[in-house]
Amino acid sequence: MFDRGLSPHCRSVSCTGEFLRQSVEHWRLLLAQIVMVWVVVLLSPTSAVAQTEDNQPAASDSTLTSPATGGGLAAARSQADAMGEEAEEGDEANNVVLNKTGPLFVRLTNTPKVGSKANVRQNLFFGELSSLVTMRNAASFSNMLKWSYEEYRKQNKNVERRGESFTYSPGAGLPLTFALVGDWSWMQDKTVNTAEFANLFAQDNKMIRLTGTRTKFTAGDFVHSFKMGGSFEDRQSVNQKTEKNAREGTVNAGLQTGYKILPGLVVAGRIYGTTNSGQKTLGDKDGPSSAIGDTLGIGIYYDNVYSNGRIAVTRSNFEKKYLDFRKNAIGSIDTIGVSDDLKIVNELETQDAMTLEFEANFNLGPVRFDSTFKRTTNDLNYAENGLGLRERELNEAKFSLGVLVGVDSLSVSYDYGWKWDDQTIQGATAKRGRQYNKRRDLDFDWERPLFKQTRFQLHYRVGLSQDIAEAEYNANDKDRLQTDFSVQLNRTWPQKFTTKLLVLYREVQDISIRANRSSNNNIKDTFEITPSYTWYTSSWLTWDQSYRLYIQYTDYVFSDLEQVTRQDNYNKRGNLTTRVTLHPTKRLGLIFRHDYNKKFNATKSGEDAAGTVFYARDLNQTISKLDMAMTFKVMPGVTLEAATYRTRDDRENIRGDKVTEILNFSGELWVGARIVQSWPNSASFSAIIKKFNAFGPSVSATSASYWEADIWLKWEF
Amino acid sequence: MNGNYGRRIWYLCVALGGCLALAGCLFEPREAALPADGAVVTYFDKTSSNNVWANLGKSLEATNSPGWEDNISLEEFIYIPDTDTENQFPPGTFVGWDRDREVNFINSFYNSGVSIVVQMKDDDFVVPPDTGLEVEWENVIYFLTVINSADNSVTKYRGSAIITFRLEGNFWYVYQWRDQQGESDPDTGQPLPTMGVLRGNFASK
Repeated sequence: MFDRGLSPHCRSVSCTGEFLRQSVEHWRLLLAQIVMVWVVVLLSPTSAVAQTEDNQPAASDSTLTSPATGGGLAAARSQADAMGEEAEEGDEANNVVLNKTGPLFVRLTNTPKVGSKANVRQNLFFGELSSLVTMRNAASFSNMLKWSYEEYRKQNKNVERRGESFTYSPGAGLPLTFALVGDWSWMQDKTVNTAEFANLFAQDNKMIRLTGTRTKFTAGDFVHSFKMGGSFEDRQSVNQKTEKNAREGTVNAGLQTGYKILPGLVVAGRIYGTTNSGQKTLGDKDGPSSAIGDTLGIGIYYDNVYSNGRIAVTRSNFEKKYLDFRKNAIGSIDTIGVSDDLKIVNELETQDAMTLEFEANFNLGPVRFDSTFKRTTNDLNYAENGLGLRERELNEAKFSLGVLVGVDSLSVSYDYGWKWDDQTIQGATAKRGRQYNKRRDLDFDWERPLFKQTRFQLHYRVGLSQDIAEAEYNANDKDRLQTDFSVQLNRTWPQKFTTKLLVLYREVQDISIRANRSSNNNIKDTFEITPSYTWYTSSWLTWDQSYRLYIQYTDYVFSDLEQVTRQDNYNKRGNLTTRVTLHPTKRLGLIFRHDYNKKFNATKSGEDAAGTVFYARDLNQTISKLDMAMTFKVMPGVTLEAATYRTRDDRENIRGDKVTEILNFSGELWVGARIVQSWPNSASFSAIIKKFNAFGPSVSATSASYWEADIWLKWEF
Repeated sequence: MNGNYGRRIWYLCVALGGCLALAGCLFEPREAALPADGAVVTYFDKTSSNNVWANLGKSLEATNSPGWEDNISLEEFIYIPDTDTENQFPPGTFVGWDRDREVNFINSFYNSGVSIVVQMKDDDFVVPPDTGLEVEWENVIYFLTVINSADNSVTKYRGSAIITFRLEGNFWYVYQWRDQQGESDPDTGQPLPTMGVLRGNFASK
């Protein structure tokens, strides 16, 4: 595995000395690079370095945290995926041609950026500086410094953030692909609530992490991927005058090994372990913290002309010790009325998870069959938290069949999920009882060309979801059955005209099983028909029009009982949307749109001896909305934009003989400009500025007049 | 040609018939019990945003999840936590909080054996009139007291939120729930967390 650093004729034990000398040389070079990079960056005219919110690998490194927080196969898989991804990066780095004789520093690029963003909720001002040093042997050092300030328009709140992060990669030439990542993030969130209670939530987090990976290297008949890492974190925060601090060190390592038994048949195993240790402060209490976790997995994978699949099992565990607030049986902090010495507890959290997966896929000419079975079990136990022990099991089976028959394509899929969870509340002698959820879905799709340029699609779906409480420990048992049937026709006349017709029927049954929940049980039947067309009249004019007619009947299952006050009802809606898109010149674009929405609701008022049902109308409403949008390119890089809408909402509420009429108008107008400018000296400027004015009975003062902006200036040198 | 066509139609009929037969066998909901006297939860029609918000309160007090599911957007529901809540939970806890996650949360919450006392808005909150296709309630303050009989604990949640309602079909639904900040307990002055903390508790465990 260490052959990269050796000359071709020197791959034996006797050459170990030379290898070690080369390794030491690499490490010296690495150290020199880090020191010199910092000198270069710090002494350069823009010696700041920045960090973005998206660039915080410390907080989101799934490889380091997954086994301790997520557990189960997901943890193992994310670890394996992460190893794979980094491996690919590593491969790229390893493929770089080594250049050991050039200058140490190849290029230094600094990119400062300043800007501001605004919207109806907040104004944001920011500045950042990113720096990139490229060095010989594909080594690199990237650095980011960032500052931002947010002020909220609808709250008494402001947030200031500062951050710095760097990533150093020594490039090719080392036995492993290394990365050194550092991150500092600082934040102060000042909020005053409506009772004038002012709170400062402040965080100051620092982290440094070193990772090394090597992927797909061969040793005998085995192929390995390896990853190791270590990190140190110092996190400090205060919220509601309560301190929460931690200083922790973490080390982890993982190995994935595969062995080809036969052509197309591979057995692979993976092992991963992580441990951390440190000190935590919560409120006025200090205590040690530690965590240890491991994941072990093995799988058999096959792949041939007609089929592929796998069977895999993964087991993961962790044990964490830390200070925590006292929590109740649903995991909420529960310290009100509790004496100070009992508010904070020494928690011991353990998890034991296992996943078994089986997948088999067959591809036989026009027939394709896929199947998946999966079982996950997860036990999460707290020594102090009121949650106590939570046990979960998730089972899933999926089958799908796709067939090509001439010009027709058919597919059928069935998905069955069955899961439960149980809880032994802290201090209880018996389990709560299992909460089951069962879900079945069946889908059928048929598609074929009906005539020339005309496609026909049919979709049928039925799904049943059931919640069942074991031994009725709660009264929330319920079933939901949904059936969908739709037919769609699409016709296209190339470059001139397209049409679409959708006919849909849907039935939803909401059934609560227990007597004290079943009064609202109902069945909703929905019918919808939606024809639409788009007419490309000319290169500068397009018409779109769609009409949607929708009717829904709601039948309350127990509406005939005296104690149930719900009555069956139906509601209808017709919606006509017309849109005209115009480009009179190359610089001017216009869109006009009109929505005409008419609807009414009616409630069952009686039934005669012949079974005829009567409904009384209780709502008539017409909403008419006219929109217009315009863009005009004033000159290259400068575009003026404007849009406006006006809505008329005409409503009649009918209660017996009493009719209440309400007429409301609302609208909005915004005008703005979009400017994008680049200069030959690598500077660029972008500004999107819009001024909004709105009116209407539900428009608040802060939404009636505001700016929306995204402005930034950056340059590179 | 005709033979092929006939065979295709035959395959299609067999496939569709098989699906329908399967559906009939496997997709049969259970029989419901007749509603008991005195246990009827009567929801308002979703003909106004005010009714929808009140329905959520009724759902909470009755711990009746269909009432919650029926009043949040069927097409797209978004929950956005306040920054204080967001920072209390592992990164990503609230990312992509949609209708499915909200439904999972409310079912888990109600199934945990709690009883809830709720005030969905302060008495002095002025409800904006419904107009057009969307209406936004700014700075609505809700207050929940959650009593857990399993350990006799009482926890309170009071938050200021921006709630956006949308007209879908003929009815209003909660489309977006954006918590802004925790508010103080009106009795003790103690700052309380938003309901986002409850969501985070169930989502992160």
